[in-house]
Amino acid sequence: MSVWNYVVTAHKPTSVSHSCVGNFTSPNQLNLIIAKCTRIEIHLLTPQGLQPMLDVPIYGRIATIELFRPHNETQDFLFIATERYKFCVLQWDAEKSELLTRAMGDVSDRIGRPTDNGQIGIIDPDCRLIGLHLMMAYLSCTFKYQDAPLISFDMLAWQVIPFDNKGQLKEAFNISSTTLPWSSDGSLLPLRRSLSDRPPALPLTRGRSVPFTGARSAGDGEPLLIGLPLPSVLLLFLPSSPLSHWFWLEELQVLDIKFLHGCVKPTIVVLYQDNKDARHVKTYEVALKEKDFVEGPWSQNNLDNGAGLLIPVPAPLGGVIIIGEETIVYCNANATFKAIPIKQSIIRAYGRVDPDGSRYLLGDSTGTLHLLVLTHERERVTGLKVEYLGETSIASSISYLDNGVVYIGSRFGDSQLVKLNLQADASGSFVEVLEQYVNLGPIVDFCVVDLDRQGQGQVVTCSGASKDGSLRVVRNGIGINEQASVELQGIKGLWSLKSSFNDPYDMYLVVSFISETRFLAMNMEDELEETEIEGFDAQTQTLFCQNAINDLLIQVTANSVLLVSCTSRELVDQWNAPAGFSVNVASANASQVLLATGGGHLVYLEIRDNKLIEVKHAQLEHEISCLDLNPIGDNPQYSSLAAVGMWTDISVRIFSLPDLELIRKENLGGEIVPRSVLLCTLEGVSYLLCALGDGNLFSFLLNASTGELTDKKKVSLGTQPISLRTFSSKGTTHVFASSDRPTVIYSSNKKLLYSNVNLKEVNHMCPFNTAAFPDSLAIAKEGELSIGTIDDIQKLHIRTIPLKEQARRICHQEQSRTLAFCSFKYNQTSMEESESHYIRLLDHQTFEFLSIYTLDQYECGCSIISCSFADDNNVYYCVGTAYVLPEENEPSKGRILVFAVEDGRLQLIVEKETKGAVYSLNAFNGKLLAAINQKIQLYKWMLREDGTHELQSECGHHGHILALYTQTRGDFIVVGDLMKSISLLVYKHEESAIEERARDYNANWMTAVEMLDDEVYIGAENSYNLFTVRKNSDAATDDERARLEVVGEYHLGEFVNRFRHGSLVMRLPDSEIGQIPTVIFGTINGVLGIIASLPHDHYVFLEKLQSTLVKFIKGVGNLSHEQWRAFHNDKKTAEARNFLDGDLIESFLDLSRSKMEEVSKAMGVSVEELSKRVEELTRIH
Amino acid sequence: MAAEEGSGGGGEKKSSPAPTKPGEAGAAKFLAGMPSRGNFSSGSVSSNLGGFRVYVCEHSTEPPEGQVIQTDSTNILIRHLQLKQKSEAKDAGSRTPGENTRGKRSAARSLDVNNSAKRANLGTSSATSAYEETISGFSQHTLQSFTVERLRALLRQSGLSTKGKKARQTMLNPLVLKADCLGLLG
Repeated sequence: MSVWNYVVTAHKPTSVSHSCVGNFTSPNQLNLIIAKCTRIEIHLLTPQGLQPMLDVPIYGRIATIELFRPHNETQDFLFIATERYKFCVLQWDAEKSELLTRAMGDVSDRIGRPTDNGQIGIIDPDCRLIGLHLMMAYLSCTFKYQDAPLISFDMLAWQVIPFDNKGQLKEAFNISSTTLPWSSDGSLLPLRRSLSDRPPALPLTRGRSVPFTGARSAGDGEPLLIGLPLPSVLLLFLPSSPLSHWFWLEELQVLDIKFLHGCVKPTIVVLYQDNKDARHVKTYEVALKEKDFVEGPWSQNNLDNGAGLLIPVPAPLGGVIIIGEETIVYCNANATFKAIPIKQSIIRAYGRVDPDGSRYLLGDSTGTLHLLVLTHERERVTGLKVEYLGETSIASSISYLDNGVVYIGSRFGDSQLVKLNLQADASGSFVEVLEQYVNLGPIVDFCVVDLDRQGQGQVVTCSGASKDGSLRVVRNGIGINEQASVELQGIKGLWSLKSSFNDPYDMYLVVSFISETRFLAMNMEDELEETEIEGFDAQTQTLFCQNAINDLLIQVTANSVLLVSCTSRELVDQWNAPAGFSVNVASANASQVLLATGGGHLVYLEIRDNKLIEVKHAQLEHEISCLDLNPIGDNPQYSSLAAVGMWTDISVRIFSLPDLELIRKENLGGEIVPRSVLLCTLEGVSYLLCALGDGNLFSFLLNASTGELTDKKKVSLGTQPISLRTFSSKGTTHVFASSDRPTVIYSSNKKLLYSNVNLKEVNHMCPFNTAAFPDSLAIAKEGELSIGTIDDIQKLHIRTIPLKEQARRICHQEQSRTLAFCSFKYNQTSMEESESHYIRLLDHQTFEFLSIYTLDQYECGCSIISCSFADDNNVYYCVGTAYVLPEENEPSKGRILVFAVEDGRLQLIVEKETKGAVYSLNAFNGKLLAAINQKIQLYKWMLREDGTHELQSECGHHGHILALYTQTRGDFIVVGDLMKSISLLVYKHEESAIEERARDYNANWMTAVEMLDDEVYIGAENSYNLFTVRKNSDAATDDERARLEVVGEYHLGEFVNRFRHGSLVMRLPDSEIGQIPTVIFGTINGVLGIIASLPHDHYVFLEKLQSTLVKFIKGVGNLSHEQWRAFHNDKKTAEARNFLDGDLIESFLDLSRSKMEEVSKAMGVSVEELSKRVEELTRIH
Repeated sequence: MAAEEGSGGGGEKKSSPAPTKPGEAGAAKFLAGMPSRGNFSSGSVSSNLGGFRVYVCEHSTEPPEGQVIQTDSTNILIRHLQLKQKSEAKDAGSRTPGENTRGKRSAARSLDVNNSAKRANLGTSSATSAYEETISGFSQHTLQSFTVERLRALLRQSGLSTKGKKARQTMLNPLVLKADCLGLLG
């Protein structure tokens, strides 16, 4: 690979942080708006369900979204704030279908630290004010490490970390020293250690995982601590005013802020924690003139210790509901105070059901949905009730949609559309899941498995958290799931027929052989059995079959066209080929037949009054190789165009019907004859597809009225002749290309996409939609006829293996055909709670659980690899563990466990105790390389006298804070450190020693590393950046050689947990794209992405294209692309370099033609050339 | 529909003797009358209502004139302190004695070391009380335990000036604040 890298998303973020409902796209349309990290999804609510509308990329990580209705407006505006303190107000312009920026701002001139508890964005119910709680106490920590200078640093935490400024800081340090490697999966488990007296902590559901400042003791360096809290500040502005103001909030630890309803002056209610850990609420009126807060009408002290969420109640009730862990409290200005105890739970998401605020839905950290009812009389709240409703995914946002249907947004599991039923089901649940939206996040780890050894990987991810934990098998391409199959040799063609023209289901399957035709039909037992259609000719090969109008059936053979009645199955009419001529190719639709005989004769027939009428005849100068008259116009039974492919001049021609006039002739060039043509309409766009005998396919845009062909494109699908056929799945039409590499051609965003199918070779295909096998396909392979259903037509196909526990590390072992992973699960009894950690073994094909190994108490799996050792032919799973004891800051004990897979069981062969957590393992020169706390340690595999093996320590290397990630190549080792970026070590065989060769002196907090090649290494750090460093082996001085030079920097905006070499797509050896090396990465928000190293000239070209595109494609809400992609963390901001934004570049293909032409003009390259080059790139993912 | 209700009723009955999920029967009562505006009304909710259009922003996204929201440039600390001073004049007596003492001590320290030229940086004559207020807020925290040397070292290491004027421009840096109140910047 190289330093010139192209970063592109293969699977968009799926973890949902926020959702809201309102009239956004029109005053009378109700929309659900969902925030997924860097994207906003807009749905429309309809009587039939949730209709997807728009998927909007945002140049920023979304911190908060809100819908609000300014005065005098008829529809809602959308307010978005990003984590980098930019915000915008968007309005939908229905006429132009555009998102207008109504206002925007940038408050990144920060005067404090980011808030600990996530950014809060609130809007006054009377739309007087928008409030943003972004900054908080300035807490700076400094720490001295060995003799190095003092370093200030930040770290990530995932939870409200309750700490005050005295004793609790220590606790924060505990967290910092052990949290990162664990919390990088987005889970909170290590925090629970330090907060053992609290119920399990859960990540924030609002805002983001936020940095907080902390420090820790390391080695002999005595920690120096300074913490100086300032009160936090709130930024307020009027939606209509161009000026915003910082407001001063006395409260330091603000947990939530909301505007109260029904107040004369805008009033906020603040939930905060004081320095004794007690929590209170306070109200403030916003004094706009003085730009300050005035102590509000009421306050409430000493709430539930776990109070964390405020729900303002609409007028006329007013007041606020305070959600705690053990109580729910309602209070208001009239000193009404109602409280009820609840079963201990952490509630982080709520959704209001009734506009008057009588009912709310509450989602807790275990995925339980509750109904909170506010009983009231004469505008006074008389009591609270909480009722159990049922189980959902762990909710991060809840939006009541309509008619008892609720959207549950989740970060840790699939988001859901659920219906609240009036009656409980047998299990006592009122919740019925209507739909599940796949979420890969958080991807904690993944491995790439190439089962078919075709160079196409499928990715197996460790996804989800706690009870929503799962493995996900992600693969490119479309799967056909075989339902039935029968051995049949020599199939020459396949067609399905219905028993009558208006029957929704197919009945017959016509299978043609070289000298006969057989008819199969579904019988009462839903089995296929042979039948007869009396009027058809079964003694000869069928060239085409089709249902026709008036309940007729058409069969075309070499000699004749037969018209048979569906009901009587008897011959109604017949057309015979002229003597001496036989039909070579034929096609038909419901009312027309087009056929070609030898000598270039083209014959056009129509079915009128149950008769075959020869309407027109034409003789062409060459033989005809293929033809089609699939209706693409308004009339589904009649086509006014026919496509014909020719021998000799290798052309494809468009004829008008019924007069058979040549409208268009397109020479294809080359010497390969077109073998299949198809007229089709996908997503309302008409195409002519023309497949050649060598596996290439031409596509043209077709003007259905003039027959004009434009936008010719060529793709290589396989190496054998292709035959094309349309089919429909879930009501949408797609094209199936049968060949040695069967492909589904479908349209997305009005672009043609090609997705390979998980079948080796397909000769013929026809749709076969029966009651027993709805939406199925009949597929003729070599010697076999099978019926299968097809996956949803989408680029990536995802299969879920639910675990009910959280998988954290996974690896694949080809030799034993297994996958192994480390996982854990909470066991919650009434009093105690504990965690159990396991190593599990799965079959890599069926994903069946084979074996389980339970780790010791407090022991958790940190790393797992498959490896073999020198002088031993066996392959082992090696697992690195840590004993995470509640009283230890840093694990001081761990184990390396070596397992063999015997008869599908995990057999422990060797165990070796270590002096710390084994964060990473690598197979290294026939030995085992382990990263254990601060140390890199190499172990030899030694044969003992008794024939057993042991791991023997050979050498090591000290000097890391925590060596979390290691990668090796030859004798080189790359280490990703907790906070000291990347270093390069080398193993010296002769001296049997590991030495440091070079390091990057930046203070990056690493989350993943990988070696792109011998010289260039890539790292991801915890401020969502990517960077590459290069070894300076040719440098003149030792100093330079000891420094890893930073060569590339880029803000990805995603927290990367793992890089792996591999590809999600088939690497065709003959294609240029097949030569581009790629790395796959997985992130917390469920993104799978690709980093592709490009040749320099290619990179330069695309860089120019990117900088041109930035001028034409604006950031929604006027957010800047340049700022978004600039490397940015607390220490520095630097322009992106040596990384390209593939998502931006590939959106070239979504531009309107006129914009494409403008881009083309600015680039000085033709639109066709640009499209071709960008399309090539889209094929790497 | 009737059958469904029947089975639902059965579920309730079954649950009443086993009160594992209290209020289960109760939820039904509260689930009636869900707000409805006619959506999700067709018998079965379809999962196939088309796909997303990926939004490509080809148009200008500049906000209307005057709608680039600026933050007022007055330092919030200063503004707050000014306001505070006004209100303080009113309710000076309402503070707890403990706070007062601490505040005075800190104020005294800052008075010791700050000459009027530097005070001017705050652009207000209310600086003394401003400091008093700020520091009283901080003084209860960990800083008290640090030695002057250590703070000086910290300032240096953090790349901050140990001399007054420049340092005070970064008023909001807690290090500076602390150093200031200990008189290191004088």
